[in-house]
Amino acid sequence: MAAVQGGPVDAVEEKDIKSEPSNDGCGNNSANDGRPPSTSPGSSASAGSNTSAAGPPEDQQTLLAVLQFLKKNKLTESVDILRREAGLPEDSLDLKVGGDSGAGSGGAPGDGNTGGGDASSLLSRVTTASSAAAPAPTKVVAEDQPDVNVVLSAYSQQGDPKLYPVYYSGLKRFIESVLDCHRAELSQVFYPLFVHMYLELVYNNLESEAKAFFDKFSGDQECYYADDLRVLSSLSKREHMRGNETLLDFRTSKFVLRISRDSYQLLKRHLQERQNNQIWNIIQEHLYIDIFDGMPRSKSQIDAMSGSLAGEGKREANKAKVYYGLLKEPEIELPLDDEDEEAENEEGKPKKKKPKKDNMGSKSKKQDPNAPAQTRIPLPELKDSDKLDKIMYMKEATKRIRLGPDNLPSICFYSFLNAYQGLTAVDFTDDSSLIAGGYADSTVRVWSVTPKKLRRVKSAADLNLIDKESDDVLERIMDEKTSSESKILYGHGGPVYGISFSPDRNYLLSSSEDGTVRLWSLQTFTCLVGYKGHNYPVWDTHFSPHGYYFVSGGHDRVARLWATDHYQPLRIFSGHLADVTCTRFHPNSNYLATGSSDRTIRLWDVLNGNCVRIFTGHKGPIHALAFSPNGKFLASGATDSRVLLWDIGHGLMIGELKGHTDSIYSLRFSRDGEILASGSMDNTVRLWNATKAFDDLETDDFTAATGHVHLQDNSQELLLGTYLSKSTPVIHLHFTRRNLLLAAGAYNP
Amino acid sequence: MSAPKTIPKDAQVMIQILKDMGITEYEPRVINQMLEFTYRYVTSIIEDAKIYATHAKKSSVDADDIKLAIQCRMDQSFTSPPPRDFLLEVARQKNLTPLPLIKPYTGPRLPPDRYCLTAPNYRLKTVQKKVSSSVGRISVPRLSVGTVSSRPGTPTLGAPSVHSVSTKVGPPVSLTGQRFTVQIPPPSQTAASKTMTPSTPAVSNVLINPSLIGSKNILITTNMVTQNSSDSLKRKHEDEDDYDAL
Repeated sequence: MAAVQGGPVDAVEEKDIKSEPSNDGCGNNSANDGRPPSTSPGSSASAGSNTSAAGPPEDQQTLLAVLQFLKKNKLTESVDILRREAGLPEDSLDLKVGGDSGAGSGGAPGDGNTGGGDASSLLSRVTTASSAAAPAPTKVVAEDQPDVNVVLSAYSQQGDPKLYPVYYSGLKRFIESVLDCHRAELSQVFYPLFVHMYLELVYNNLESEAKAFFDKFSGDQECYYADDLRVLSSLSKREHMRGNETLLDFRTSKFVLRISRDSYQLLKRHLQERQNNQIWNIIQEHLYIDIFDGMPRSKSQIDAMSGSLAGEGKREANKAKVYYGLLKEPEIELPLDDEDEEAENEEGKPKKKKPKKDNMGSKSKKQDPNAPAQTRIPLPELKDSDKLDKIMYMKEATKRIRLGPDNLPSICFYSFLNAYQGLTAVDFTDDSSLIAGGYADSTVRVWSVTPKKLRRVKSAADLNLIDKESDDVLERIMDEKTSSESKILYGHGGPVYGISFSPDRNYLLSSSEDGTVRLWSLQTFTCLVGYKGHNYPVWDTHFSPHGYYFVSGGHDRVARLWATDHYQPLRIFSGHLADVTCTRFHPNSNYLATGSSDRTIRLWDVLNGNCVRIFTGHKGPIHALAFSPNGKFLASGATDSRVLLWDIGHGLMIGELKGHTDSIYSLRFSRDGEILASGSMDNTVRLWNATKAFDDLETDDFTAATGHVHLQDNSQELLLGTYLSKSTPVIHLHFTRRNLLLAAGAYNP
Repeated sequence: MSAPKTIPKDAQVMIQILKDMGITEYEPRVINQMLEFTYRYVTSIIEDAKIYATHAKKSSVDADDIKLAIQCRMDQSFTSPPPRDFLLEVARQKNLTPLPLIKPYTGPRLPPDRYCLTAPNYRLKTVQKKVSSSVGRISVPRLSVGTVSSRPGTPTLGAPSVHSVSTKVGPPVSLTGQRFTVQIPPPSQTAASKTMTPSTPAVSNVLINPSLIGSKNILITTNMVTQNSSDSLKRKHEDEDDYDAL
């Protein structure tokens, strides 16, 4: 509270001094929040009266409010001085000290922007931002002294809310008058400013003004913010904001804008003029302006990168080193039937995207500099059965079809009949022998794709009777009487939204609306564990490619990393502003990507839980993520019908694939990464030329400093084929080990 | 919607609300569902408000009562996820601990038994006269990590051997609490295997599907089952605070 105490004292003595503008470099600084609450607003907001005591009633109230504040902080001398100078009467208003100070100190949100020193905004905002000790006391205080909070909040650095339309129109007029090259960049300011002003109006219970403000200016915003604006339009009262965590987070976090230095100078110069100081303060409060040196961006470039709820990613958010290489494959002795040239050293470390036949590429023992160390995160050791699996995998890999623009894969479509729009999740095992479907009636059904039927392990009594030493004991433990083509797993209490097989085909994970993630055994077809942690619907879950770990993401805006033998999560990845809708592991299991309803994709480090990349650019919630097999690239699909391609190492968008007409729910790279298949609600599967999309990038060209993206409009050339199904939306795609494409969806006539 | 029928006013309002929120395509029954929800919610709020008003000895319900009713209902049914700063703090704490090392060769890697759903949720009542090997055939499926006789990598549920079962069944087991009157049919393989799959009602009177109920119920019943047996070490007491779940 030290900063807070210092502030008001200055306020009393320096009422006429305007707040110094923030310095350059990073645009914003929250340290400036320590400036006294009522300097510039007081001087320019209302009808010009400053320190004279006999000002209009609003100022009188302000003085009283400041007086109370000083009293509360026991600055008795300042109180006397103020009272003397302002000529206030001796009656002092009582103040419930405890509640306010408790709320004030407990109310610093994690992002620390308002917590700087601005007690007024703390007080006005703390009732919802901090659910900790003191919502009740502040409310009580508010009831007793409605004037204090309202007045203080009015005299926060944000000026008088009633004048927001005026400020906004003024800014609009200015931006329309600047040079074309700057206008696109400066127009980025409109949306966050609009939303923040609207929320401020709602927060101050100025319902009709808020509505008028909304009606007047919402039409100017970009089309891709339409959904957000619709949600905003339904929020007209302060109470409505209580349950809406996303908007509360939006209010407390800073919207990131990337503006070139020239444009920024223009804006700053204009806003620091006397009459425009309000907007300047608001901008400082809520926006983080990431300045870069260079050419201002064009509208199309900006449109490509914007659209998320939190603005774009800051440059330093994308600067951490990411080990995107693949882990070394373990050495496995291969049976010498037809692979004579396969030596014991079987290592797969692709550095560049050379077309590679098998994993037996280079025999060098040098570590790929971009690959994580083998022991960076603990991984389970390979069991005998895993080694057998790997041998099978390599055998299959030799028979793999080489795909290319002139050699497209065949597509085999698995239609789920009689699902009545209840099919919500599908997964295939890696060797494509089992398929599982999660349904809205909370069941999970597993089918065998091969002629081999599904059998359950015998009961304990019978297991005792078999001969454990026989060679085919793994067959004998199975109970033939229970063999069937499909099995139904009951257990969840709500629709099943995410399904994932384990790589060793022993377990199946399912995540549901009831908030749990269940682990099922595929030997006994019963549920083994229910992992409780999310208390809200879990939208997606994914097993790690090495087994043992899995990730889940849900409505509570976090993703959690679990291990099958811990009943609590090992890592919590928090940072998204809205639900986490899609979670995927990187092929080396050291990183995972989460896509969210706030239209960003974040890449997290499993080792320490840090967010290492933020990718913005989608204009709708992200529902599909796919890592390329070499670990370098990430493809994402969202409800805006576009597939975006990202370079993980540089943290940049490198491609955009337009073509679908409806939300994309599935993405998959072929086994060698040459083809990207995407399936969407418009009943099509589209194949894209991934090698061409990634080859075109020249890493030297990238102005990584500015992050300018020069997206070529070559979606048409990259599109290799569109395959329609008859009214069956495609919700899952899977390439078999031989590069046959399997697709799954529910027939929806 | 056929033209001659007039839609009631409620439904018209609901259609307008859906339109305002931008929802253009929906099945006709959505309106019915929305109206049902609205009616139920408003009724419960007003009833609560009436209770508050009578508690405050007011003659009629006023706005404050309604506000209080809404607030209480919000905290109870319509909770929202924790705020961001709280989550960030919790995440920071949790992410500081290093990832635990993985012990090799431990069979199926599952949490401790009390956190799994693998325990039985019933106990068999012995019929005095028929304490024969037939009873012993009904094995109580239990997963104890480490005593699995099959090889690692293939989790099985039928772990305990016969002899441990018979020691349990021998002395009369006193059932406290719920009574399961289970007649053990002449043992057949299917019956035995079916006891492991909770969803089948082959064994009479066992109503509980263990995977649908919370593990707490499982704990209750296994508590009773394992009173006399020696290998109940893992489930001594019902833990209220097992789930310090976040």
